Amino acid sequence: MDVLLTDEQEMVRASARDFLEGECSPQLVRAMEVDPLGYPPELWRKAAELGWQGISLPEAYGGSGLPLVYLGLILQEVGRAVAPLPLHSTCVAALTVAEAGTKAQCEAVLPGVVAGEKILTWAFTDEDPRFQPEAVTMSAVGEGGEYVLSGRKMFVDNFVSADHCLVACRTAPARGSSAGLSLFLVDTKSDGISQTPLVTTAKDKQSEVVFDRVRVPAANLIGRVNEGWPIIERMLDRATALLCAQLLGATRKDAELAIEYAKMREAFDQPIGAFQSIQHMCADMIIWIDGGELLTYEALWRMDEGLPHRVEVSQAKAFCNEKCLASARNAQIIHGGIGFMMELDLHLWYRRVAAWTMRLGTTYEHRARVAEGLIDHPGRVVLGQPVPVAEASEEPQRDRYVA
Amino acid sequence: MQFGYTPEQEALRREVLAFIAEHVTPEVMQEKSAQDDFQRGPEAGDPFGPHMRELYRKIGERGWLGIAYPREYGGQGGDRISQYIVEEEFQRVGLNIGLSGSGAPAIMAAGTEEQKRYFIPKLISREFSFALGFTEPHAGADLASIRCRAVRDGDDYVINGQKIYTTSGHISTHIYLIARTDPSLPKREGLSIFLFPMDTPGITVRPLWSIQNNPRAPHGTTYGEARTNETFFDNVRVPKTALLGGENKGWKVAAAGLNLDRVGAFRYVMSIRRDEDIVNWIKETKLDGYADNPAVRDKVAELWIEAQVCRLMTMRSMSIVQRGRDFTYEGAAEKVWAPEHGVRTTEAITQMLGPYGQLLRGSPHAVEDGVFAHNVLGAFQSGVNHGGVQIMRDQVARRGLGMPAPRRKAASK
Repeated sequence: MDVLLTDEQEMVRASARDFLEGECSPQLVRAMEVDPLGYPPELWRKAAELGWQGISLPEAYGGSGLPLVYLGLILQEVGRAVAPLPLHSTCVAALTVAEAGTKAQCEAVLPGVVAGEKILTWAFTDEDPRFQPEAVTMSAVGEGGEYVLSGRKMFVDNFVSADHCLVACRTAPARGSSAGLSLFLVDTKSDGISQTPLVTTAKDKQSEVVFDRVRVPAANLIGRVNEGWPIIERMLDRATALLCAQLLGATRKDAELAIEYAKMREAFDQPIGAFQSIQHMCADMIIWIDGGELLTYEALWRMDEGLPHRVEVSQAKAFCNEKCLASARNAQIIHGGIGFMMELDLHLWYRRVAAWTMRLGTTYEHRARVAEGLIDHPGRVVLGQPVPVAEASEEPQRDRYVA
Repeated sequence: MQFGYTPEQEALRREVLAFIAEHVTPEVMQEKSAQDDFQRGPEAGDPFGPHMRELYRKIGERGWLGIAYPREYGGQGGDRISQYIVEEEFQRVGLNIGLSGSGAPAIMAAGTEEQKRYFIPKLISREFSFALGFTEPHAGADLASIRCRAVRDGDDYVINGQKIYTTSGHISTHIYLIARTDPSLPKREGLSIFLFPMDTPGITVRPLWSIQNNPRAPHGTTYGEARTNETFFDNVRVPKTALLGGENKGWKVAAAGLNLDRVGAFRYVMSIRRDEDIVNWIKETKLDGYADNPAVRDKVAELWIEAQVCRLMTMRSMSIVQRGRDFTYEGAAEKVWAPEHGVRTTEAITQMLGPYGQLLRGSPHAVEDGVFAHNVLGAFQSGVNHGGVQIMRDQVARRGLGMPAPRRKAASK
């Protein structure tokens, strides 16, 4: 038990921070908000030279094979700089290909990702934004060595720049333990695909993507037909924990901007940062961010260790959703009127923090998952111990407190 | 970064749990309750009855007392995490076998070789216990404003003044007292810490009765189990060897000791034990209909997540101590988050119990001997004592974030 970063992890983080401080200015972030692709190819290439895209991908495909915690550290720095890089969506999809794809699928995609030549993304949500298998209605129908995909996906990250997209489709009605979903690796340039950019608070690149009888080779099925849900669920869990890291990086920087502003801005003949009303807001912000980090890294660490992590991922996202937005709101309030103005850079962080708290599961959804883990299995819970696994034979005690 | 325990540490926890199941018997706990008698004074001597003494002997035999303290001071020379594991499991059954709040961390940090050899082994074995003589009626949060005086007289100091909230002072063997040794210095610079026996002539201890103890709080009440006191010092003469950390060095010694005292198993378990309770009752259908109530499920999950943050902040503090580093603000952060969480949980439980939550100990239909009613009368104390949460937030902001101290009025010293 040592929840602090190792020296090596500190080094990875520090070098990522130095790199982005040199390469990613607020001007660049602003420019990419109105850029059709939304990312600077030069910076993406440099990130690949540093090995970021492949940091947690297998060495067999050119990656570094490091634990997800390391990718979390990189994404945290990407969040800190609000760097306009399609790293999160690329890594989330690539890790799923690496985990569940065939050798041929891996070879087709992963070396290109590691080299910074390919951008990936993933698509789950149709219309219903819940992260439940039943929310997926988009269909894929087998037709002579191919699948024909029809439907619509929402909130697809970086689709405008992506080469491949992992698409969750319904290939069968849900039955018994099978959710009837399958996951496909789709070339984004395939015939029948059209996309419409969405205008988001983050001014990032998310699209509504329509699939009109898009033909995908059967060889592009990830895993087995109708058995995609466990793969998708792991993908979503990883995506969620990694988004928390990115969100926390942005929130901490945003908080630091407010703290520095409070030390400098004077009112009533002294820095406003000398007022306890402001100090206590800042103290809470740091306590929340620290708490979110501890939850997030525990979730990532459990994934790396191959331990159950569903509850831990949801703990992190539920907490970050509320606390990161509250922290960023405090940072706005500490800045007063100027925080509301386009000319100040602060909104670059606030708008992204707000957007990311709405993605990959709401507070209520994630708390529902935690409650399910806690309450719907028999056996006593002990904090710090894994939530008990169901044992049907146990009879609940019946000495009631409330009749 | 390592969020798990080593196989040896996991094995240690299992061993401790097995030990507790076998040896922490109802007789031991009954004896403990009886020994908590508020009327006992220092003249009662040994705070342990025969069962508890035997239990401590057995715990000591296992090498579980003072694990992270050096062998030359009666410890085991082990690691802080193992010590934490043992303390956590005993704390979960209501036994504080750890040394947080004991003065031992401060003595290790600032004591002379002689003081360490004298006090630490006996603190570990529980022969000695310290009452904390910090707060005075007019100086709580602003600790540096204390007025209690210690005046040098030859090889002695003579102490005069009053302390308040000297919890367990009536059954402690010693006191850990902060007094002003030089009123001419700025207020933080003229303070010193003294360690001396409670039976030194001139000390008077009087009980203070809290709203939580009318009737007497049941076992397991947060902050309700100990009696607090006011303590008077009338020409109390102590030798200069009673000084901890040098004359006029008291502020730094106190701050370091308090920091170490604020973290660890005692505070952690105090803050989170009720989170497990609510989940387990809902599962055991002691609270009917709540397992399917979406509002309750959401609240329970929210509290559980907060409790995990308590756990992880404790782990962070332990990691820092284990690496031999000092806190910048982490101990203070934990001392904000955990107590406030404990209060949120306490209050949420009252909303789940509804009118049953009012029933105090001894009332017909009282839930678990009224512990939740007694809790709501005192859980908030955890946000007040040992450095209130507002003071802790000041520390996070000023030490952790480098924010400026508030401007003081020119007239005040």
